[in-house]
Amino acid sequence: MQPSAAGSTDKVGWGLLITVPVCVVLAVVFLLTGLKTSGKPVAAKALDPSWYTPRTARGELLKNKSMVGRCFLCHAYWVGPPDPNVVRPRFAHATIRLDHGANNRCYNCHHIYDRSNYTADDGSRIMPSNVVKLCARCHGLKYRDWLNGTHGVRRGKWNARTVFERQTFACTQCHDPHAPRFKFKNFAPPPVWPAKFVRRKAETFEH
Amino acid sequence: MEKDTKPSGALSRREFITGMTITLAAAGAGVAALSPLSGAEETPSLDAFLQQHYKRLTVAEKKAIFARLEAEIRSTYGVKAAIADPPPMDGVEFAYALNIGRCIGCRKCVYACMQENNQSRDPQIQYIRVLKMKKEGRGIDLQSAVHDYPQNEAADPDYYYMPVQCQQCKNPPCVKVCPVHATWQEPDGIVVIDYNWCIGCRYCEAACPYHARRFNFTRPHIAPEEINPHMAYLSNRPRYMGVMEKCTFCLQRTRVGRYPACAEVCPTGARKFGNLNDPQSEIRKIIENERVYVLKEDLGTVPKFYYVLAK
Repeated sequence: MQPSAAGSTDKVGWGLLITVPVCVVLAVVFLLTGLKTSGKPVAAKALDPSWYTPRTARGELLKNKSMVGRCFLCHAYWVGPPDPNVVRPRFAHATIRLDHGANNRCYNCHHIYDRSNYTADDGSRIMPSNVVKLCARCHGLKYRDWLNGTHGVRRGKWNARTVFERQTFACTQCHDPHAPRFKFKNFAPPPVWPAKFVRRKAETFEH
Repeated sequence: MEKDTKPSGALSRREFITGMTITLAAAGAGVAALSPLSGAEETPSLDAFLQQHYKRLTVAEKKAIFARLEAEIRSTYGVKAAIADPPPMDGVEFAYALNIGRCIGCRKCVYACMQENNQSRDPQIQYIRVLKMKKEGRGIDLQSAVHDYPQNEAADPDYYYMPVQCQQCKNPPCVKVCPVHATWQEPDGIVVIDYNWCIGCRYCEAACPYHARRFNFTRPHIAPEEINPHMAYLSNRPRYMGVMEKCTFCLQRTRVGRYPACAEVCPTGARKFGNLNDPQSEIRKIIENERVYVLKEDLGTVPKFYYVLAK
């Protein structure tokens, strides 16, 4: 019993010579590295407001618009008799660039004797607030989609109880009727993720 | 008994000093090893640590918690925010429709979402990924899609652009795998997360077949002037480091009748939103009248996010 106990204390003493310095060294190392890894605040990048401000597509190209409404101010008094074949009107409408496919005559849409209104199939008048009816003469499928709610922008409330709570956009609020095909711009950039997470390989996959 | 034998149970001076040295060194090493915690970016307060699961909270407890969170936001970001908790509306089940015949891939929805929901700007977290794929040939082929096309490649008439976000599944796999019930489905169909209950195990991220969930690897960084102060507890309040987050159909907006931010900002009107239970709602009209598909239908997740093919 005695010699073995003495031997064990000897072994503990030798072990201590190693254990205590290792613990002290580890304590110093942990303290130093712990001080180093304290996080610094990173300045966050700001978003461009044009990326999230709600606007219709036409809001970006209103240049082609000219003299909306108030047609009778001129046309009631000092504008001469209409020429049904006119394609490039002069004077006040000279900025209009008509690019509507085969529909390239003014009086296909505008009423020939009443410039404040549009013309229906039977020659009757369509009020400017009912411009949807005018476009539906040719674009029946789009009109059906618009009625179904698939085509066109809606804003306001999804559970609108009254008409004032929902804003429904008519055709000409987004499309320029003289050049209805959109020229989109103002796109937002792709996500910035760390490069190692971005896979570009799929893009070359049989495109 | 021999004289120099020490009595059993007593401690010699040498052994006492040895033991104390070892104990002190071990304690010192332990404290040193834990010392980085004192400089941790987010150390929970006692109230935050003892906070109960959202569903177990009473109204008074919620009020106290929201006040504490508002104070935290004011001290962290310097912004006076209001945290609301709009309840789900009766008889409402939200659904979304996205017309990929109209979508031009401009990514405005992505950034409107970031602005509305206070996502981290650096590192960037976005709920919506816009996939771009060629129209001819394979059609809707997700394998050949890219989500990081540069912005000058948007609005290409030869390509489909298909934004993918949380599909708010009726049978959500992410809810099933959560080990602590930190995410659940609300009565109006929205899958939400209690950011204070989430342990950040990321099981839900792995379970989601649409890659709709995002993880905060660091503390989210947002410029104070960009913070949206109209917050809700379950949706767009600032997140913590190490928790999951996801699209909630902007429940802070939709539960009070407004459209989600992504639907409102869409310049082409490709995004539609409404109540699935109301036969007169625009979403029901679209589903009944148009050509509609859901993403990964064969998985049985029953998404409530419908893709429409219309002009």
